[in-house]
Amino acid sequence: MSSILLQVIVSGLLIGAVYALFSSGLTLIWGMMNVINFAHGDFVMLAMYTAFLVWTAFGGGPAASVPIAAVVLATIGVLSYFLLVRHIMRGPMLAQIMGTFGLALLLRYSAFWYFGANFKTLPDTLLGPPFVFGSIRVDAPRLLAGTIGLIVTLSLHLILTRTALGSRMLAVSEDATAAQLMGIRPEHMQAAAWALAAGATGIAGALIATFFYTSPTVGETLAIVAFVTVAFGGFGSVPGALLAGLLIGVIEAVSAFMIGPVYKDVIVYTLFVLVLWTRPQGLMGKA
Amino acid sequence: MLLKASQLTMAFGAFKAVDDASVAVNEGEVLGLIGPNGAGKSTFFNCLTGDLHPTSGTVHFEGRDVTRLTPEQRARLGIARTFQVPLTFESMSVLDNVMIGAFLRHHAAAAARDKALEVIGEVGLGGAAEASAKSLGTPGRKRLEIARALASEPKVLLLDEAMAGLTPAEIRAAIDLVRQIHRRGITLVIVEHIMEVIVSLADRVVVFHQGREIARGTPSEVTRNELVIEAYLGKRHAAKLSGGTT
Amino acid sequence: MMRRALPLLIGALALLYPLLVSGSAVYQRLGALVLLSAIGASAWNLIGGYAGQVSVGHAVFFGAGAYAALAGYAQFGMPPIAGAPIGVGVAILVAALIGVPTLRLSGHYFSMATIAVAELVRVLVTNWEWLGGAQGISGPAIPRTVLDLSFTSAVPYYYIFLAVLVSILFMTWRIEKSRMGFYLRAIKDSERAARSLGVAAGRYKLYAYMLSAGLTAVAGALYAIMFGFVDPESGCGILISVKMLIMAALGGAGLLFGPLVGALILVPLEEISNSLLGGKGAGLTFVVYGAIIVVIARFLPSGLLALFTGLRSPRKPSATEPSHAA
Repeated sequence: MSSILLQVIVSGLLIGAVYALFSSGLTLIWGMMNVINFAHGDFVMLAMYTAFLVWTAFGGGPAASVPIAAVVLATIGVLSYFLLVRHIMRGPMLAQIMGTFGLALLLRYSAFWYFGANFKTLPDTLLGPPFVFGSIRVDAPRLLAGTIGLIVTLSLHLILTRTALGSRMLAVSEDATAAQLMGIRPEHMQAAAWALAAGATGIAGALIATFFYTSPTVGETLAIVAFVTVAFGGFGSVPGALLAGLLIGVIEAVSAFMIGPVYKDVIVYTLFVLVLWTRPQGLMGKA
Repeated sequence: MLLKASQLTMAFGAFKAVDDASVAVNEGEVLGLIGPNGAGKSTFFNCLTGDLHPTSGTVHFEGRDVTRLTPEQRARLGIARTFQVPLTFESMSVLDNVMIGAFLRHHAAAAARDKALEVIGEVGLGGAAEASAKSLGTPGRKRLEIARALASEPKVLLLDEAMAGLTPAEIRAAIDLVRQIHRRGITLVIVEHIMEVIVSLADRVVVFHQGREIARGTPSEVTRNELVIEAYLGKRHAAKLSGGTT
Repeated sequence: MMRRALPLLIGALALLYPLLVSGSAVYQRLGALVLLSAIGASAWNLIGGYAGQVSVGHAVFFGAGAYAALAGYAQFGMPPIAGAPIGVGVAILVAALIGVPTLRLSGHYFSMATIAVAELVRVLVTNWEWLGGAQGISGPAIPRTVLDLSFTSAVPYYYIFLAVLVSILFMTWRIEKSRMGFYLRAIKDSERAARSLGVAAGRYKLYAYMLSAGLTAVAGALYAIMFGFVDPESGCGILISVKMLIMAALGGAGLLFGPLVGALILVPLEEISNSLLGGKGAGLTFVVYGAIIVVIARFLPSGLLALFTGLRSPRKPSATEPSHAA
């Protein structure tokens, strides 16, 4: 394998870990309450602007922006749940889709109105020079993003499978009435899921902002990446999202390298349609 | 033989919800399917309607293999059903609900409406034709589902716990309705929890336990069957009832 | 008395509107735009409202109509209207391609797939030089014959759009009263129950989707003919899809006049906010749009018209319960 291709694959894996992180948020909400958050990509966008604001306000790097974005987005997630999602999730399908979709537009164009359409970027030098491993060169922001992305996704999985909070959330998603009889408040668990999902998304967004341009409509593209990841990984599965995110990162990077950057989206969207066509339960989902 | 299931197995992963079940329904009879919770009777039932496709085995209707057919294809052949938890069309009136069934054999709206009104009268929902399906209580919804199914002019009607959640008085009324349907020449398969219902309605009963058939016969035969008593009440009670010791 | 007089009055008003505002080109144009939006939203209503399958990607079909009209002119010198049937055909074909795999799945998959396909098409069109790429394509600058349907006044467009809208609403009304209309509503309420009664749900959803796509392409072609220009954003942008959805939902999805009522409210609102806020307004208009969508979803999930139909005839409340198709 040529060292350039290896380089491309490594950078694909690193970005894929970040895709996995914010897609985990989407899949968690879906699995827990059968709701698709169409504003998910715009949550990522808000986290990116948060990172940008942290930097312009006091020159803070990821060490400050990642925790701040996590808290800000978790708060937005909980608010979205209590003010909107809780009321529409039992309603007709059209209301469910419109509710989170309207939220997406509201956030996207508020950002457009407030920040303007221009791209914002954080300085390249924020995290110092690239790392070199043999013949492979990795930019510091991407390495950091990939590593943290992987760690946080795995932690999310552990929280869901190994903690009391996780098993309570699982109980609610399987049978809310039965969970209530065991003294679990379904609303609290669902709010917690929104906090976790949006918080993870906040971390992902703050990381992406260190090496990607920030614009009001960036969430649109990222939302579709998340849909594709969730569709590949199986709806509701965090490990599935992790594998699918890595896979999509690599597919994107390799097709951008082999065919041209413009067509990386085309390839990924086409794969998405093919997967929906042939294996609607996801590549890794159970039949 | 109107409807016949042969060596039906439905496995979900390693778990066999139905294990090698063979049941035949004769034209004009009332067949009861009973068994404790989780016995596999609902799964078996859904294999007959086409909502589930069995892992192995076949379903024949009027001598024709319908194993791979969808629910809508089976409905066209004359298999109608109701649901355990009623699935009425909530945004529609009672009349419109029943018209959906009637449209199967009557393509023009006016003809479907006439058919629907006729059936609504027969099942005793006459006063409520214009009411919203949402405004009905559980007994009304169960009746509406039966009306809807009847309007599709089926040869066999499969009732999935049509009496669950009803008061004793409502159950008596529902039994009368089912008898009346049977008199019209419609074959019936009833999945039921309530023994009294089975005893007063069924000609023959098949008892399921843990995915397998454990007994069959007339209602009085199976209610005396030790395996059946055991399955329903557990070993200990069965032993007590039969006066033996363990 | 009132019941007879009201439709007549509205009909007369619709016919005479351009004359009533004959002094103002702005209001004439506004009238035409309301009708054009109502055509698109009414087309969406067939699949999204009646059948309850929420497409968020109808821009693909709108774009097919708009691009077919103008590409026919740009590449072969055809009058734009002659390209319209091609656009309709392409839209129906694409709908079949999307619909066959995704309409089998639960509603959420369908919505996501429609978004993804719309984005895919937008990216492809942006990079497709034959269709003008990112710059887009223009229609005839000066009308060559009357067939180019290029007018300086909005009044001819108003009447063309009115005729098309009336045809679509008449067709929708016929469907609503027929077996297909009943079946679509049944599928929306509970697909599983509908299938148990012999409704070939997949087939009916696909028919509704293809019909809806074809009519949306008509709206796209009419748009291109009036504006004489289309680019990837105005032809296939996600906001095109969103506008159809929100107009139908605001007025009442699955109700005959819901989309028209939605257009009557939202189009003037958009024009006013654009003209009041100028360049800055573009973003703010969609902030308002987003807020409206959220408020409808939260408080008025069945749309404005449902309030009135609910009061007048309790026999047909349009509120839909969640349908848990298994």
